[in-house]
Amino acid sequence: MSNLEKYVDAFKETFMVQDSDLSDLKYQDIEAWDSVGHMALMATLEERFNVELDIDDIIEFSSFEVGQSILAKYNISMS
Amino acid sequence: MAAAIPMKRVPDLSVEVIVGSQLPEMVSQPLTPYSSEAISFLGALSIRLFANPSIRLYPDVAAFAYWCRRSNLTRLSRSFDTQTRRIGRGLVLHIAPANVPVNFAFSLAFGILAGNANIVRISESNHPQATIICGEISDLFRDPKHTRIAAMTRVIKYPREHEITAELSRLCHARVLWGGDVTINHLRSMITSPRCIDICFPDRYSLCILGAEAINAADEQAIDNLVSGFYNDVFLLDQNACSSPHLVIWQGSREDVDNAMSRFWPAMEHLLSTKFVPPAIHAVDKYSHLCSVAIRLKGCTSISRQQNYIYRVRLESLPEKIENYRGQHGFFFEAIDNDLEGLKSIVDDRFQTVTCFGVSPQSIIDSIIEAGVNGVDRVVPVGKALDIGVIWDGYDIIGTLSRIISEQ
Repeated sequence: MSNLEKYVDAFKETFMVQDSDLSDLKYQDIEAWDSVGHMALMATLEERFNVELDIDDIIEFSSFEVGQSILAKYNISMS
Repeated sequence: MAAAIPMKRVPDLSVEVIVGSQLPEMVSQPLTPYSSEAISFLGALSIRLFANPSIRLYPDVAAFAYWCRRSNLTRLSRSFDTQTRRIGRGLVLHIAPANVPVNFAFSLAFGILAGNANIVRISESNHPQATIICGEISDLFRDPKHTRIAAMTRVIKYPREHEITAELSRLCHARVLWGGDVTINHLRSMITSPRCIDICFPDRYSLCILGAEAINAADEQAIDNLVSGFYNDVFLLDQNACSSPHLVIWQGSREDVDNAMSRFWPAMEHLLSTKFVPPAIHAVDKYSHLCSVAIRLKGCTSISRQQNYIYRVRLESLPEKIENYRGQHGFFFEAIDNDLEGLKSIVDDRFQTVTCFGVSPQSIIDSIIEAGVNGVDRVVPVGKALDIGVIWDGYDIIGTLSRIISEQ
């Protein structure tokens, strides 16, 4: 499974959303991505990619798109 | 798994076992702190809890799940003592509090991370949070990967003040005691094994220090963050948690403080009005508490309220034993104390958490240490009051629940 697939899966499983909803999805756009959903997403991503996200990155992780550039800092490339 | 080492068996006591098999089957063969078994179990618990749909109803369960995720525990393990060889003390008895529903889970997790076998007595309040967490733990214990932790873990219930506590106290190597002062004193009067150590979490008192200039200069977003942090600190547990503030100390000139108050409290009121309608009983409680305070406490200069959400009593100076006047459901004392001389003169060992905004935590800690007072164990930003961790009430819990095997 590619990194992008793992990333997309984490969102779909955490928020129960479709592929088509993802590209411009932002924090608090949907009910599921509230503060509890955010914790769940961060925990899932850390587990799937075996990383420890820095607290500042967790706070700045504000959208599907921003998240990809944050993970890139941990050498997790989506392309 | 290694062969079980002989230990004093836990007798078959008449308790309701919520998690684990019967008590006599317990294995008390300690592990090292932050063992791979402990981290793998708690990490798996975190994943399971996040997959449980009911977590959305309980932010406190989510906070526990988030805390015990594998990456966080790995991070904590790296900052733990690496200079000495350590192992769990053995069997730990936890008497969990009734006022904070998820603290039993933190207490258990601390005991597991320190390397111990744990018996956790939970309150009979039947909090749904406990049902969710215990359900997930029980399911995980069916996985052979967690056999060792399963054999070392029990969550039980039995009526308060029962002889069972005395019997378990004689067996265990450490006790983690949560509760009111009367409960703790009662538990401490019991005979334990001579080597048994106690970590006690009795009643504590907490306060908030706000810098008026910073509040006046803050943009809307910063005020929103501040009030939602204060909301979490106070209202998630109805001002019942030991670390929820009851006193607000303001710093700044009188004029700046007046302005900051008229920015902060209405913003609080606005947030609260979007969250819930206060039950009439809470308003009555606050009002009657207010009357009682006005009669008993000297030095109240004015009284304000934000509808029935918040009652505030302004004080000219900080009186001793202010902790005896604490209210509930959003009841605050407030005073200006620029150099913290007033605070230093009233702090005693009941004082636990200081939350702050617009004031440097470091400078508050400096004042506490310079003054050499017996209270204040924790200084954190507003919004973090309820974030329990491995350092709590001034204890290094994992260190205290493990023993050092020294070489020289």
